[in-house]
Amino acid sequence: MCGIAALFAYDDDASPIRREELEAINERMRPRGPDAGGTWISDDGRVGLASRRLAIIDLSPEGDQPLTDTSGELVIVFNGEIYNHRELRARLERGGARFHSSSDTEVLLQLYRAHGADMVELLRGMFAFCIWDKTRKRMFVARDPYGIKPLYFADDGQTIRIASTVKALLAGGAVSRTIDPAGVAGFFLTGTVPEPFTIFESIRAVEAGTAFFIDADGRGKARAHYSIAKVFQRGCSQHAFVTLVPPAMQLCEFVSESLRYHLVSDVPVGAFLSAGIDSTGLVALAKQPMRTVTMSFDAFAGGTSDESRIAERFAAEMHCVHTTRVVTRDEFTRDLPRFFDAMDQPTIDGVNTWFVSKATAEQGLKVAISGIGGDELFGSYPSFTTLPRIVRGMSLARKVPGGVQAARAALAMTKRSPKAPAVTRYGATWGGAYLAQRGLYMPWELPMPADAAEEGLKRLEFFERAEELLEPDPSSAFGRVATLEATLYMRNQLLRDTDWASMAHSLEVRTPLVDAWLLRQLAPLLTNEGSASKQYFADSPKPALPDYVRNRPKTGFVVPLIDWAQLEPDGTGTRMRSWAKRVMETFQ
Amino acid sequence: MKVLLLTTDIYGGYGGIALYNRDFAAAIASHPDCEELVVVPRIVPNEPEGIPPKVRFVAEAARNNLAYFRAIHALRREKFDVVFCGHINLLPFARTISNRPALLIYGIDAWKPRNRRYKPGAVISISDITLGRYLSWSSFGGKTFILPNAIHLDDYAIAPRDPELVARYGLEGKRVLLTVGRIVAAERYKGFDEVIEVLVDLPKDVVYLIAGGGNDLPRLKNKAAALGLADRVIFTGLFPDSEKPALYNLADVYVMPSRGEGFGFVLLEAMACGVPAIGSRHDGGREALRGGELGILVDPASSADIRLAIDELLARGGKQIPPGLDYFSFPNFTSRVHSILHELMDELRR
Repeated sequence: MCGIAALFAYDDDASPIRREELEAINERMRPRGPDAGGTWISDDGRVGLASRRLAIIDLSPEGDQPLTDTSGELVIVFNGEIYNHRELRARLERGGARFHSSSDTEVLLQLYRAHGADMVELLRGMFAFCIWDKTRKRMFVARDPYGIKPLYFADDGQTIRIASTVKALLAGGAVSRTIDPAGVAGFFLTGTVPEPFTIFESIRAVEAGTAFFIDADGRGKARAHYSIAKVFQRGCSQHAFVTLVPPAMQLCEFVSESLRYHLVSDVPVGAFLSAGIDSTGLVALAKQPMRTVTMSFDAFAGGTSDESRIAERFAAEMHCVHTTRVVTRDEFTRDLPRFFDAMDQPTIDGVNTWFVSKATAEQGLKVAISGIGGDELFGSYPSFTTLPRIVRGMSLARKVPGGVQAARAALAMTKRSPKAPAVTRYGATWGGAYLAQRGLYMPWELPMPADAAEEGLKRLEFFERAEELLEPDPSSAFGRVATLEATLYMRNQLLRDTDWASMAHSLEVRTPLVDAWLLRQLAPLLTNEGSASKQYFADSPKPALPDYVRNRPKTGFVVPLIDWAQLEPDGTGTRMRSWAKRVMETFQ
Repeated sequence: MKVLLLTTDIYGGYGGIALYNRDFAAAIASHPDCEELVVVPRIVPNEPEGIPPKVRFVAEAARNNLAYFRAIHALRREKFDVVFCGHINLLPFARTISNRPALLIYGIDAWKPRNRRYKPGAVISISDITLGRYLSWSSFGGKTFILPNAIHLDDYAIAPRDPELVARYGLEGKRVLLTVGRIVAAERYKGFDEVIEVLVDLPKDVVYLIAGGGNDLPRLKNKAAALGLADRVIFTGLFPDSEKPALYNLADVYVMPSRGEGFGFVLLEAMACGVPAIGSRHDGGREALRGGELGILVDPASSADIRLAIDELLARGGKQIPPGLDYFSFPNFTSRVHSILHELMDELRR
C-alpha cells in the first residue's frame, strides 16, 4: 500500500519533467507511505516515477519502489496488494522466470513481461500501477476492477501526470485548480464526485477496471478488463452450479477463500468490528483470534446507534483482542481541519472511517480488514427492493394515458421529500430510479449558479453514464441494482473515502467482500437467491452467527454530525445537504 | 483381518468411481494381514475381470433389489473387522452390518445433505474439498482420511500421435486442447462451455477435442456452430477404454475448468501422458494438480484466466510427465490405504 506518481513528457515538444515537481507530488503522499520513499527519472528526463511506501509484504528494502527489473527495461510504481502473488510467482517460476525479492511488485514486472497488458486479468487484489517499458517507450497504467485503489491523471496534451490522489497532483504545482462544474454537480447530486470526473477540471480518474498505454502519441484508449454488469449477466446463465452445493456452504467457501487471500501479509492484520453481519461474519470465518477495533461516539453511548456493546460481546466470544475507542465531540472538532485536508475530493461521508482508522492505527496496526461491500454484495440496501418497484411502476405508468400524472399526484400526497418528483420524472430508467432513491439533491435544485449547474449536468451525463454501467444488461433486477450500487455508490464514495481516510493514518484497509474474483464465484448464487444471501452468509461460519447479531435491526453507521458540526436544517432528516455545502466550501 | 466393502460398481464397471473402488480393493487385499475382502456391488454392467486373490466378489447381489437385500442379510451373520461403505446411499445397508462403517465419499454425492440419519464411524474422502463440504452439513466429528485417486503410471506414457486417430478427427497440423468426460445435461460442470467460448479468441490452428458421450452433446454442437466453431470443436463420442492413452497423446494441452469434480482423475491421466494440464481452482481439480504445482489452476468463471493459461501452455510447448505426479502412484495409494486400515483397526481395539 503506497502513494505513487508518474510523469511522462510524451510529446516531442514537451519540456523534460522536473524533479522538484515529482518530489512535491510524492511528498504530499507521505502519510500514505511513511516507511520509505523514492524517485526514478529516465536518462533522457522524459519519464519520472515516484513512490511512498507502507511496507506490508516483503518488509526489506528489496521491496522499495520505484522497482526496476533485472534487465533494466521495466520500471514500476505500484499501490495496492496482489493477494495471489505467491501462486503467480510460482507459475512464473515454472515458466522460467527468476526473482530477486519476495515482493508482489516484482511479480507484476515479470507478469507484464510474460503476458503484456493481459496480465491484469490474472491479478487478485487491489491495485493501481504504472510500468515504464523502456524498450517500447511506453507506459502501462492499470487500476483494479472495483476501484479500491485510486489513480488520477492530468493530461495537458504534451505531458501526462499521474498520482494516487488529486491533491498530490495539485501539489506538484503544474496542474490547474480550476473547479469543474461537472464535478460539483456530480457531488451535489450524489454526495460524491462520480468517476471519471474530479472536482478539478484538468484532473480525471483512471476508471476502475481499465488499463491503457501512453506512448509518443499520448494516452491510448482505455480497455476494460472487468465489468461487474457482465459478471452478473454471466452469473445468470450459470445456475446449474448453484444446485450442486448448498448456499451457506458456497458462501462459506468462497468468502473464506477471499478472506484467506486478504490476510496475506508480513505484518499483523486487524479487523474493524461493528455489530453487523458483515464484519462479524468475516471475523468468525477468519477462524483465528484477531485484534479487533470498534469505534463509538460518546453522544450515542447506550443508545441503539451504539454498536460497541454487541461488538464487545462478540469479540469476547471469538477470543479477539478487542478495543472500543470512544470519540468525543472535542476530538471531532479538533480533527476536523486535518480531516478536510486529507479529504481528497468532496464527499459527505468518511468521518466514521477516519476515526475507526485512527483508532486502529493507535493499536500499532498497519492493516485491517473491513466488512464494507457486504450490503452491495448481498443486496441488503432498501434500494434492492425499491428500485425494481419504481422502474416497474413508472414504466407501466408511462404506457397508460394519464398514468404519470396519477403517479405524481399519489406521490405528492404520500411523500413530503423534496426528491419525490424525481420518481415520476426519472423513475422509468434504472439510473433515474437510482438517483431518485439515492440522490442528495435533484438536478433542478443544485446549490450552485444556474449556468454552472446547466453546464455541469450537461457534461456529467449522469443518466447516460448510469445506463452505460448497465451494459451488458446484468439480466436480473438484483444484478442491475447491485451493479449500480457497486459502480456508483461503493466505487465513488465508500471505497474512495475508505482509501483517503485510512491512508491519512497510514493504515491499509482490506475489503474481502469487495473482491472481483469472489463476485465471479457468487454471481450465480446472488442472482438466484437475491437478498436472502445475507442470511446464508450469517449461517456460513461454524457455529453460525449468534441471534443477537443477526436479528439486530439494520442501522447503518451513524455519526452525530448534526450536533457536533452544528448543521443547519435543510429539509432532510440527516441534514446531509448542509454538510455537503460545508464540505464544498473547503474546496473552493 | 476380514474386511467388507459395499460398493456401487467395481469389477465390470465403467468410470472413475469403479476404477477407484478396484484400486481400493486391490490395496486392501494386498495388506499382509488381510485374510479376506468381501466385495458387494450394486451393479455389474460387464463381465467382471481382474478380481484379486483374497477377494470374494458377491456378484449375485447386483441381480436385483431382492438379491441385494438377501446378500446384505446373509452378511449380517458374518463377522468383519472393518466395514467400508462405498457410497453414501449405501450407508443404511452398511449400518445393518456394522455400527461404525467407514464411509467413502467422492464428489457431488456428498456435497449436499443426504442420509443424514445414518452416521458412519469414519470418513474417507477422495479430496479435501469433498470432505469439507460433507463435514459442513453432516456434523460428523469422527476420524477422517483423505485418499486421492491412484494413477497406474505404467499404463500411460508419452507417445507420438496415433495417425489413425489424427486422420479420424482431422487433427493434422492442429494444436489440440482436450477434455475427457461425460457430457450430461444435468451435470454442466465439466467446463466444456467455458473452453468453447474461449476458443473464439485462440489462433485458428487450435482445435478443441471433447472426448466422451452424453445427452448434452447436441447442445454443445449447436453452441460451437453458433460461435462459428463447428470445424474447431470435435466430438469423439463414446470411445473404448483401450484408446484412452492414445487419445491423451493427441493433446497439446488438457483443459478442464470444471466446478463439480470431486477430484479430477482425468487430469492425472493426461499428465501421465506428459500433457500439460489446466484444472479448476474451485473443485477437486485443485488437489489433482496439487495446488498448482503440477499444472495451472484457473477460475472457471473467468474466460480470460482460462485463455491465458492455454496461451501459456501452448507457448511453452513440449511434453513432460511432472515429477510430482508420483505422489498419486499406485504404490503410494496402497500405503495410504494400509495406514488407514491400521488406524481403523487401532481405533477398534481401543
